[in-house]
Amino acid sequence: MQVTLKIFRYDPEKDTNGHYETYSMQAEPTDRVLDMLEFVKGTIDGTLSFRRSCAHGICGSDAMLINGSNRLACKTLAQELGNEITVAPIMGLKVIKDLIVDMEPFFNNYKEVLPYFINESPLPEDGKERLQSQEARAVFDDTTKCILCAACTTSCPSFWASDDYFGPAAFVTAHRFIFDSRDEAASERLQIISETSGLARCHTVFNCTMACPREIQITKAIGELKLATITGKVR
Amino acid sequence: MKNKPLPLLKRGLNFEMLMWIFTRLSALGMYVLILTAAVGALVMGARTQMNIADVLRWSFMPNTTHVQSTNIVAIDPWAHAFWKTVASLTLLVATAHGIHGLVVIADDYIIKPLGRNIIRIISILFMLAMISIGLYIIWTS
Ligand code: FES
Repeated sequence: MQVTLKIFRYDPEKDTNGHYETYSMQAEPTDRVLDMLEFVKGTIDGTLSFRRSCAHGICGSDAMLINGSNRLACKTLAQELGNEITVAPIMGLKVIKDLIVDMEPFFNNYKEVLPYFINESPLPEDGKERLQSQEARAVFDDTTKCILCAACTTSCPSFWASDDYFGPAAFVTAHRFIFDSRDEAASERLQIISETSGLARCHTVFNCTMACPREIQITKAIGELKLATITGKVR
Repeated sequence: MKNKPLPLLKRGLNFEMLMWIFTRLSALGMYVLILTAAVGALVMGARTQMNIADVLRWSFMPNTTHVQSTNIVAIDPWAHAFWKTVASLTLLVATAHGIHGLVVIADDYIIKPLGRNIIRIISILFMLAMISIGLYIIWTS
């Protein structure tokens, strides 16, 4: 199929503003947006900059605004998009060059929710592992799937408004640990995410759920966090 | 031991979250108040003596000044303390709901804690002024 690919370009050394450039090419319907970007970089303009690593939807490097929705370039096929494809950087974070944004504010929010397992109690008798039932594991199964691509957070109007709003990705990680029966810092995390510009700033827009390439039910997870702050029940 | 709820002060139920709950409940509360006033108006004769715009005006703020320009003759039941109370509740709930909404929007633009506090103080003063004026009008008209 014939594809017209419009790509957002911005070179901080030359441009004051970003602009779009159009590239025409032949593509297979099963080609991914990432393949087309590689094609442009490899054969038309080597200065095109974008992040990618695994190319298989697991590292979370290549979230982009593709035809108006946040998706992973490595998981989006030409046939899903049609002949006109527009690619821009994810919104709400500063563009560094072309499709690369400064992820620092995103990761700062992530770090604030203590994204690691906390358990100070001594190990069980046999000194081996802290066991968990299948039911207890299932409670937070969905939120373990996050790959930190930022597709959710950068689709959220509350995050666009101010990047001191934690954003859905940070809440997903908070959910993953708060509802883990082996973790002991649920209270601390709940208090962190309820600060001004925290949970209460989620207006249930559902953009995050729509954007997540891992199909995590993010809005539902945030709802469960809100309920936990009200009832105090985490498990 | 894992199933105990977290203590009240340790679950993040702070002012911000309480206002979040208030915003939702007050919206429901406003439906109740407005429907009460609308039904009350119909019972008191609005069905034949008032047009729909006037009924709505009354429903959103059940104050006698809102029926004076209609075909209602017997104004007494409309001036009952019950309606003044409903009007006062509508005023309190709606003003707090609305001002809190404005503060939330302002927070999207003002990031610094000092700026946010200034906006909060101005908003609270403004809210108190609006409520005082409103209550004065409701109970003296
Ligand atoms: S390149 Fe790793 S997720 Fe797309």
